[in-house]
Amino acid sequence: MAIEAPPVPGRAPGAARPRPKREREEEVLVWPDLVFVEFISAVLFTITFVILSVLINAPLLNRANTDVTPNPSKAPWYFLNLQELLLHMDKAWAGVLLPTIALGFFAAIPYLDRSREAQGIWFGTKYSVRITIITVVYATLVCGILVAFDAGDRTKFEYATRWIPSCDNTAQHVGFPCLRDEPGAKHLGIVTTKDFSKRLQFSIPWPDALGTDDGHLDWPRDLDRIPVPFNNVDCCYGSLHLWKGMNLNIPDIMANQVIPLSTIAFFTVLIIYVLFRLGWVRTRRDVFITMFTGVLTAYLVLSLVGSFFRGQGQALIWPWEIKVDPG
Amino acid sequence: MAFTEEPGKPRNFQERIGILQDRIYDRVFHNYIWQSIFRSGYPNTPRNQMLVVATNVFLHLHPTRLHRTHVKITHTYCLGGLTFFMFLVLTVTGVLLMFYYVPDVNRAYQDIAALETNVKFGLLMRNLHRWTAHAMVILVFLHMMRVFYTGAYKPPREFNWVVGVILLVLTLVLSFTGYLLPWDQLALWAVTVGHGIAGSAPYFGDETQLIVFGGYEIGPNALIRFYTLHVIALPLLAAIFMAVHFWRIRRDGGMARPL
Repeated sequence: MAIEAPPVPGRAPGAARPRPKREREEEVLVWPDLVFVEFISAVLFTITFVILSVLINAPLLNRANTDVTPNPSKAPWYFLNLQELLLHMDKAWAGVLLPTIALGFFAAIPYLDRSREAQGIWFGTKYSVRITIITVVYATLVCGILVAFDAGDRTKFEYATRWIPSCDNTAQHVGFPCLRDEPGAKHLGIVTTKDFSKRLQFSIPWPDALGTDDGHLDWPRDLDRIPVPFNNVDCCYGSLHLWKGMNLNIPDIMANQVIPLSTIAFFTVLIIYVLFRLGWVRTRRDVFITMFTGVLTAYLVLSLVGSFFRGQGQALIWPWEIKVDPG
Repeated sequence: MAFTEEPGKPRNFQERIGILQDRIYDRVFHNYIWQSIFRSGYPNTPRNQMLVVATNVFLHLHPTRLHRTHVKITHTYCLGGLTFFMFLVLTVTGVLLMFYYVPDVNRAYQDIAALETNVKFGLLMRNLHRWTAHAMVILVFLHMMRVFYTGAYKPPREFNWVVGVILLVLTLVLSFTGYLLPWDQLALWAVTVGHGIAGSAPYFGDETQLIVFGGYEIGPNALIRFYTLHVIALPLLAAIFMAVHFWRIRRDGGMARPL
């Protein structure tokens, strides 16, 4: 008695199983199928760029003159994002360390995400399209708001901290924070992050035994010249002086390094955490999609801000207000 | 009597032309010299189509056959290939520009300005060089995004992704070094911004400025350094990494496929 195979669901019994196509049958020849596409795209690009070059001339300004500084002077567009970052944080972080970290992160992606899944197709994981779109919108908003925050007097973000009194009107060392204004100028809230080290003042009670002389630890006055351990210690071969003459300026470090960097870290972790709790970030690949998309979006947005929203003295203005002073 | 015809004798004018075409074809493609250059026959049969790819030094960057999904435009948008094509266009236009350009602060600006007035197609070459350079930077970013979002960096292609990141950096630096060469106000002050950024490197800022820019401000040293980097050192380096990049695509089994 013949044993009948159980019927395959969804298929009429007895119907022939479609033969899976062999690898070879799915392949096409490079000549002509690929070479043709390459040739056509090269021709199209050549024609496009010849037309473009006939229509638009490459810029050529006056001869270089080191005595005449144009205002604003801008880097090439692909470095304008770094120039933009320079306005918001310590220049070593903005110009060198963060880009190096970003490139190191790019290079490290395949060594951190070693799964072989979801390769060879666009947006291979279940929610990756959603993650990408959300991250693009999110990073654009975050970059825009942070840039606007750091130009508080123009974007009115300083209104949020207007309630902090001006230092001229209050007795010194009351302990409560106050903001130092320019003499005779209107009182402003916190205009940029740098105000945390330049204009913000407060004091907390502090025992004299721990280094103060008036019972208060004053921000920023008491914290801007803290000697680094082994500072000016002449030892050994006399050339090992990485810290020589260096003092820690805690308010400056706060304003130019700690606050900007922790802000970046915070907003990065926040979006990953939220998407994770929503169940959309599931694999390591999803985490990297979020981070990669975020970095590239920030790169683009900051370039656009630097190109179109920065006028003289790198002030934040509308594109149609930009006037270049040739110097 | 059945219809017969003398074989080989042309019946009409069209046939005469046909025979003539065959003879010319034979003379051109089946002679000793042509076949010493091109080993395979005209690629009109599958065998010759594979042979032409396998035996031609330029075409053999490709495999002879590949999966049909990879030929679809929407899979790659030709971005990597177009980046390379931009590099080739930049090489050709760049060589032509080098004929007319001397990297000396007293001459550089006049040489560039003379391209517009004194050199036939000089302005066109400069414009092409400029716009394709911008296009190359954009395309290299788009190519990286394509590779990332298709998950094509995954094993066994990890190292090729790293080579790609290096090529991204080289492209940016190539573009940046070229930016100074016209020696106009735009060039000088854009590079001055970059000079400031390089100088802000912790511990090595001054050394970086001295080595890369040849001084603490942009001057003749910076111009000759950027020129040398731009026309020989960096293109050579990029070509080496490109060779590795393309070679690794083949060695790692072609383009990434779903498992």
